[in-house]
Amino acid sequence: MRDPELYEGLDVEMDERLARFARSTRHPALPDAVAELPWAVQLNQRRTSRSGFLSGLGDGWSGFRRATFGLARLGATLAVAGSLLLLLGNVHTGGTAAAVIRPLPSVHPSGAVAAPGAPEVVVVPTSGIVDDVMADHVAGAIRRAESDGAAAVIIQLDTPGGSLAAMQRIVESLSAKVPTIVWVGPPGAKAASAGTFITLAANLAYMAPQTNIGAASPVASNGQDISATYGQTEADKVMSDAVKSITAIAQDRHPEAVAWAVTTVANAQSYSAEEAVAAKGINGEAATLDDVLNAADGQTVTTSAGQVVVHTKGASVVTINEDAIQAMLHTLDDPDIAFILLVMGVLLIGVEFFHPTLLVGMLGALCLALSFYGSGSLPLNVLGVVLVVLGLAMIVLEANVPSHGVFTIAGIGIFVVGGVAFYGSPGPYLPSAAVAWPIIGLCAVGAAAYGLLLVGTLLRMRRMPMPVGAGLVGTDSVVGGVGLVQADLSPVGTVYVGRESWSAKTKDGSSLSRDAKVRIIGQDGLTLIVEKVD
Amino acid sequence: MFAKEAYLGTEILRAPVQPAIVRDRAFDPVFAASLEAELAMAYRLAGYLLADSAEAQDAVQEASVRAWRGWPRLREQEKFHAWFSQILVNVCRTRLSQRSKRRTLDIEDVDLESGDPFRASLARDAIGRALSCLSKELRMVVVLRYWGELSLAEIADRLKIPVGTVKSRHHAALQAMRRRIDPVERGI
Repeated sequence: MRDPELYEGLDVEMDERLARFARSTRHPALPDAVAELPWAVQLNQRRTSRSGFLSGLGDGWSGFRRATFGLARLGATLAVAGSLLLLLGNVHTGGTAAAVIRPLPSVHPSGAVAAPGAPEVVVVPTSGIVDDVMADHVAGAIRRAESDGAAAVIIQLDTPGGSLAAMQRIVESLSAKVPTIVWVGPPGAKAASAGTFITLAANLAYMAPQTNIGAASPVASNGQDISATYGQTEADKVMSDAVKSITAIAQDRHPEAVAWAVTTVANAQSYSAEEAVAAKGINGEAATLDDVLNAADGQTVTTSAGQVVVHTKGASVVTINEDAIQAMLHTLDDPDIAFILLVMGVLLIGVEFFHPTLLVGMLGALCLALSFYGSGSLPLNVLGVVLVVLGLAMIVLEANVPSHGVFTIAGIGIFVVGGVAFYGSPGPYLPSAAVAWPIIGLCAVGAAAYGLLLVGTLLRMRRMPMPVGAGLVGTDSVVGGVGLVQADLSPVGTVYVGRESWSAKTKDGSSLSRDAKVRIIGQDGLTLIVEKVD
Repeated sequence: MFAKEAYLGTEILRAPVQPAIVRDRAFDPVFAASLEAELAMAYRLAGYLLADSAEAQDAVQEASVRAWRGWPRLREQEKFHAWFSQILVNVCRTRLSQRSKRRTLDIEDVDLESGDPFRASLARDAIGRALSCLSKELRMVVVLRYWGELSLAEIADRLKIPVGTVKSRHHAALQAMRRRIDPVERGI
């Protein structure tokens, strides 16, 4: 123990006196409170209430494991929801399972009963975005008309546009053995963007008065809007493809209509029914379905089976509507519904992060997947989506990373900007879409109310008395209670209160002797501040 | 729905000792035995470092709680002794520096009847009174050296200071005590 070098010059006598003194005072009686510690500490250790993903990260290895597990579960949830969606998509886009699962189109004969032996005309009402659902619906109806030997198929069209792929499928199915007629109606309908291509691709095209054909939204002739989204080269490519495509379609219709048709794409022009007739873009105006039947009767058209004279006068009309699954999936294309589904999906997944329950995450993933399915035929703006997700994430984080409302306010701002910019430039095929203002507003107001409630609750809780000291000395605050002096306060000593001994000191520095009654008026760490009571 | 947890999560971590709610880990007899073996020394050290039995109890308790929390991360359990005394010294040092901001307690003002065993011991002997007049740094070295029976190297390890510093503080402490005791003893 004695290292001569270390002791060089040391006051040896002092060293020995100190050692002697220390030995004589080495065994103070161990208080019960200390003697019990090995068991008390273990039995009373608070369970960590940290849960969820983010907080778990800060908790060392076990936190890392929890976080990994949480992520894995979320991944599994997403995978399950994704496969559900694939199955759903396969059902309706005509995969192998489709023939088995897809219900037959429902057939609704119209009220007009035709004479026996009269020709049959199949009517396909469509509306909304041009998407895979509409393409399936149209293709199915045309196949049915072919097999039934119908006199003609009338596609009733009212669309703001849609996806290129779906439009191409419809255009292909329009060149069938049976004469195809597109009727843009009823009055007020439009055949915008992709709808223009479909209208011109039919054997015969009619428009009701007060309907429009052509681009849905102004796109600069130099393709500026598309270039902003895709870059100039890509924009030029998209535009020249579209021009080539409309030229080919219009050429089949009438050589004089080509220049007119190109302006709908290149100059983003929109035309009324009269203008379209004058330009020979369509065959004529027809206010009602009966007008279409009368106007088309006797026309000679070229189908894939050769030249055919259309006989539609007095025909019986069979209407083929979308089936239930198609109607449901078609609804997802709505710009507002796709937006709401995205918001719901992000929020539910946010909840799943902090309160893992498989069901909520699954629902969230399903919402997200349905949202992206729906927005596949919409001009989704990636930046807008990112902003919306970021804004929502900040609002959700407010609760877990208290920022006194800053996150909520910034989150709402970002969310609104993202909501406004959610849909971008439509291009030649896609519809022009925007999220309705009331929906963005409602979401923002909801988030603000949530944030206010949350911050208010936090502030209120912050003012509440805390369970102080706690753990080994009780979970309730002893402030306000009355206790007895155990070891004299001079001015520091111990006080017995709440069945525990506490270090305590008097407020005014006065001394108090054993068994005096004191009131606890405050707390400083683990030391109580007390005053004498009588 | 997040509010309560978020609030509790931040606030309770700040509290020195956490409230009892639910037993988290299984009872560990190895920990109990290891801690039990340390308690007498820990209480003694804390008592003479802080010169206050109530505060020494609190300090030992706080160190025990910290040790139990850190127990799963302690790789080599045979090093419990060094590890625990390190925690205890840290706790006591924090308390000493907090105390010096709040109050001063001169041992000579304390009467022998106060009932505090440490203050009574210190006040009983001139050596103890001289010790309690030392500065915080010097007193920590002396207490660890004579009551903790640690070598200078071990003290350096616990206090996270170089051995040379420990040695010079040791010398300085003894000289300071000598200066304080000699006039008293000559006067007797």
